[in-house]
Order: sequence, then C-alpha cells, then structure tokens
Amino acid sequence: MLPYLLGWVGFVFNVDLLNAWGWRLLLGLRVTAEVVLIACSLGFLLAWPLSLARRSRNPLLAWPVLAYTAYFRGTPLLCQLYLVYYGAGELRPALASAGLWWFFRDAFYCCIFAFTLNTAAYQSEILRGAVLAVPKGQLEAARALGLSRLAIARHVIWPQAMLVALRPLGNELISIVKASALAAIVTLMDLMGETRLIFARTFDFSIYLYAAILYLAITQAISQLWNWLERLLSRHLIIARAVTAPVAQTRARGPALDPVSAEF
Amino acid sequence: MGWFSLLFGPDGWAPLLLRGTLITVMLSAASVPFGFGGGLLLALLKLSPRRAVRTACEAYTTFFRGIPDLLSLFIVYFGLQALLNALGNALGDGWRLEMNAFVAGVLALSVVVAAYSSEVWVASLRAVPPGQAEAARALGLDPGQVFRLVQLPQLLRLALPGLGNIWTILIKDTSLISTLAVMDLLRAASEASRSTARPLLFYSAASALYLVFSVSSGFGQAYLERRANRGYS
Amino acid sequence: MKIAKFLALIGLASGLASGPLAAKDWKTIRIGMDATYPPFESVDPKGQIVGFEVDYANALCAKMHVTCTYQNQDWDGIIPALLAGKFDVIFSSMNMSPARAKKVLFSNMYYATAPVWVAQASNKSNDTSLAAMQGKLVGAQSSTVFSNYLEKNYKGVEVKLYPGGDEPLVDLANGRLDYVVSDILVSERFIEKNPGCCRVVKTIPRSADVFGPGVGAAFRPDDVQLKQMFDKAIAEADADGTFKKLEAKYFKIDIRGQ
Repeated sequence: MLPYLLGWVGFVFNVDLLNAWGWRLLLGLRVTAEVVLIACSLGFLLAWPLSLARRSRNPLLAWPVLAYTAYFRGTPLLCQLYLVYYGAGELRPALASAGLWWFFRDAFYCCIFAFTLNTAAYQSEILRGAVLAVPKGQLEAARALGLSRLAIARHVIWPQAMLVALRPLGNELISIVKASALAAIVTLMDLMGETRLIFARTFDFSIYLYAAILYLAITQAISQLWNWLERLLSRHLIIARAVTAPVAQTRARGPALDPVSAEF
Repeated sequence: MGWFSLLFGPDGWAPLLLRGTLITVMLSAASVPFGFGGGLLLALLKLSPRRAVRTACEAYTTFFRGIPDLLSLFIVYFGLQALLNALGNALGDGWRLEMNAFVAGVLALSVVVAAYSSEVWVASLRAVPPGQAEAARALGLDPGQVFRLVQLPQLLRLALPGLGNIWTILIKDTSLISTLAVMDLLRAASEASRSTARPLLFYSAASALYLVFSVSSGFGQAYLERRANRGYS
Repeated sequence: MKIAKFLALIGLASGLASGPLAAKDWKTIRIGMDATYPPFESVDPKGQIVGFEVDYANALCAKMHVTCTYQNQDWDGIIPALLAGKFDVIFSSMNMSPARAKKVLFSNMYYATAPVWVAQASNKSNDTSLAAMQGKLVGAQSSTVFSNYLEKNYKGVEVKLYPGGDEPLVDLANGRLDYVVSDILVSERFIEKNPGCCRVVKTIPRSADVFGPGVGAAFRPDDVQLKQMFDKAIAEADADGTFKKLEAKYFKIDIRGQ
C-alpha cells in the first residue's frame, strides 16, 4: 500500500511545475491584491454611512439598509457576482444610455462592484455592533462634560468602537481575500484564475496546493499584522489585561477537559 | 417571453430551481453531522495533552481557514478522489472506489466546516466551568458519562451562536459546489439563464430562494438559542 | 490487504460506491459531458442533459447493449474527472488534439466541424490577422482547442477565458468582447437564438497540431476494450444510417464535411 500512498504524495507536490509556471501565479497574486485592497477600502468608506443609517430612527433610512444587509449577507457572493456580471450584460442598453456601460463591461470593475457592496454590508454590521459595544456610561459622561455631538463621536465613541471593530474587520479582510477567488469564475485572471489555467494546461494537481500556500501566506500575514496592530492600539489597556490574563489561562488549562481528551 | 411563463410555463424553470433549492438544503444539512462533529473531534484533539496531536489539528484548522473555500473544495474533490484511487489500486487490480458528486460535495464542505467549527467548540469547551466535570466525577460518573451528560449539554448551549454563524456560511458555501457540476440552486439558475438569456430574472429568483432559506434558518437559530438558554437568564 | 478490503467496506457503508471494476463486462457506462454547448449538449428545464451527442450516445449504447448514464462536468475539470474515475467516457465534442491524446485514449472520429471567428454584428471587418486583433478583446472557453489556438497564434492579444462553452458568446452579444473563437454550429445556433447579435466572420482551417483530426470520445488510457466497443458501435451507426438520421434531425449540414 505504501508505494501507492507515496505516489499520491508525488501527485500532490511537484516542484518542476513551480519552476515552469510560478511566475504566472505571481501575476495572478497581483490582481488578487488589487481587487481585495480596492474592494475593502471602498467597502469601509461605504460601511460608515450605512451603519449610521441602520441605527437611524427614521424607518426610511433604516429599512432600506436592513434589506441591503439582509440581501448581501443572506445570499452567496457567487450569486451576487453572477447577478452583477451577467445581469449587467442584460441591462446593457440601459447602462449604455446612462453612460455606465464602460464600467460594467469590464470584469475587473464588476468584481470590485460586487465585492465592495458585499463587504460594505458585513463591515457596516461590524461597525454598528462595535458602536453598540461602547458602554453607555461613556456617552453619558461625555454629555455631562458638555461635549458637542461631533466631539463625542470623534473623541469618545469612535476610538473605542474602532478598537472593538479591529479584530472583526481583520477577519473580514481575510474573508474577502478568500472570497476574491470567485473572480476567476467571471474571467478575471487572479491567483485562482491563473491556477485554474495552469491546471487545465498541465493537469497537474500540485498547482492547487501551491496556490493554497500563497493564499495561506497572505491570510497569515494579515492575521499577524492584525495581532501587531491590536497590541499597538491597546497598549493603554495592558494593565487591565495583566489582571485578567491569569484567570483566562487557568480556565484554558483547567483540569475539566483532561478526562475528555484522554478518551481520544 | 414573460417572466411568468419562463418560470411557471410548461417549459418553465421553476421546478428545476425548486429541485436545486432542495439539493442546496440537503447539501447543507448533510454537511452538519460531519462538519460540526468533525469540528468537535478536532477541538477535543486540540486540547489533548500530546503536543504533536495539538499541532497537527492546529495546522489543519489554519490551512482550511486560511485558503479560499473554493480552493478547499477543489483540493478535497480531486485530491480525495486521487487518494481513493490510490486506495483502490492498493486493494488490487480491478477495484475502484468512487464518490458521486453529491457525496464528494458533502465531504468537501464538511472538511471546511470542521475547520471553522473547531474554533467555536474550543472556545465553548474552555468556557464550561471545570467544577462541573469535577462534581460529576465526584458523583462517580465515568469519563464518557461526564462528557455526554454534563459537559455536552452545556457545551451545546455555549456553542450554538457560533455554530449558527457557521451554518449561514455553510448555506452560502454550498453554492460553490455548483462549480463541481452538482445541480444545486445556483447551478439551476445558471442553466436557466444561459438557456433563456435572462440572467437577471433567474439570479434574482435564486437570491430570493437563498434569502428564504437563510432568513428562516435565522429564525430557527433564534428559537434553538432561546430553548437552550431556558433557566439561564 | 485485509485492512485495505476492510477500508473498502467502510467506504461502502459511508456512501462511497465501491466494487470490482467490471473490466471485461461493461453493463453500465457513465458518460461525462459539459452541457454548456448547445446544440450538442445542454440542460433542459427538467434538468436533463439533451442534444445531439446525447441522442447519438444513446444510439451507440443501444448498439453496445449497455445502459448509459450522463453526468454534467465543467470543461476545465473534465479530463481530470475522467482520469479520476468519476465517469468512464467523455462524449462531449472533444477535439482529438495531440496534447489531449497524451492524456486520454480516443475513439475513432465521429464528427469534425469548423472552428470560426465570431464578431459583433456591427463589426464589418473580415480581417482576423494578428495585427487586426491588437487592442481587441477575444473570448473563448478555457481549456479548449479554441483557447489553445488563440494562445498559439495570437500572442499578446488579450484573451478572456470562460468556464462554459456558451458564455463567451453571451459576452460577445453583451458587447464585452470584440471577437469569439468557437465552433461553427454552436455559434450559428447562438446567433439563431439571438438574432442580430453577432455574425460568423470566417472559418479557421483545422490545423492538425492544434485541433487534431476531429471530435471523438475519450477514455482512460487502459480502457482499450471500451474504446473498441465504441469504435464498433460508431461504425455500425454509420452503416445502418443512424448517424445520418440524427444528423438530419439537428443540423442542416454534413458535420463530417470538414
């Protein structure tokens, strides 16, 4: 049985392939990076007004945003991408007369459009949750100090909310890196697109694993960057953490689980 | 042709879309026991006293959480088949192991969902107070009973919100299976739109069906969480 | 070996089908198709794969006295899926190019039609030279002889690759592409369904190195017996007029004319 399994390992990793095609993967990596960075930044800009509108007491503002987030969070991104890409094709006469066709003609812009709207829905919910997580007393204290609404938002709510939002926003960035692989399905030659092309050309399975390693490198780098950012931005909380950490650790290592893990 | 007859006419596509919805629901549901169960197993192994076991499980989770789900599905779909072929060859000439696309899809989804859910399980395992197990042991329960009767019910309550999130991810991830030639909801919508040249209509219909599924499972989740939290608030 | 057999049993129990490969006695044959290629194969509102190649394959299966089942598979993965054993035959307008012949075993040719350039209807130019394609967007289905043709002869031209066979034509009609390289019958059917969208500019000579001699069924390299069964059935269907009858049902031209 061993030689067969070794054969499987050979099927999975093939170094020559990387020499021949590795540069194409890097080309694709660049497109992936562009899509992700543009979509996430635009999505972040869009998320602010959305989260404000969502919290508004005016139902004419809150309800459309609720429907928007429900749609983009409740349906698959691939379906949204198809709707934008092929739907825009069906709407071409209307889009052309509105002077928008040049935008939707391009697969790159279609992907940016769909990914931006998608991530804006998620990011707006993250921001909303983060603002809600700021203790009420903070707001009351700031009001008692006689700060203006803008000053409260800028100096009291926003810094604390951003700290809460930091981790989920990082996770969202990672999600978009992963979701960007769908762009290949609408002809964009991103990392996944190049990978599929090389696979179709060589029928060599290892290329998928090399692509996986590249994706893994990106997502791990983001995750490390975020750990660093979080440490940097929460230095002022370090005393509080020093107090709570031992408690968390004893729980983590608590004896409760030992009999359980001993079973396996 | 009007949208009504395209959907509900004699050659309408509504039945295929509904069948696709059923496949989507079945793909999601069938991945739950393997995905969530596998995740729990991973979580328990991550808390194992053996370092090698912990490292291996962390590596698995890091890998599948760090790469696109689409890529995971491809790797499992073709990689697993290659592994099966290797096994089949090992069985001797003339043996063949195969999976149909649905089973392969469920396995591929489960591999991803197991990685995602193991994190939720670990957090919940850590949150069950150690005193619970100690008390149960003091009562003379054996380790299996301690886990099944005392820890698991509390674990489920704590894990429910996190698992609910993963369930919604799972529903949406089933759409990726459409690229592996399973006639799920999205694939049905694709077939309809390519055949009729009406992508707006059919992808909107598919979106509506996905929304019905995800919104109603949101209600189901809320119900389960209320139920699990009886006696806690 | 005992362990391996035991594993196979577990596999069986967990929903994997396993069993002795009926190597010498084919009762059922699983046929893989990429059903995005009307009129050769496409999906109907019942979810069934229909088209010329389905009817033709059914006729061949009747002659071989076997039951045939059909599976839909994206083109990009169709050869890996065949080699991985997800089905036994690719019967999906696969041109027998030399590159593919290294990976799979082909039956005898059963049809050969011309590859063509298709342009938007408003485009009146008949020039498809490399110089004329500079700055143009050309589309083709990925991993096809058409995309290989473009890659080989139109270096530097931006080529968009699509997973499905009809998707480049859809995007040509949408105005996203300036040209598409595809099969003549597939293109003509698309134009018939979308009148005024596009026009066939010219046919492309079938060079042997890119396109091969024509379309054939593809098998795993060791399924020589299955290939012989298909070759025999193809010859019978030619001799008794079955092929001609089906051809007349779907097409106005002789699809072996090229």
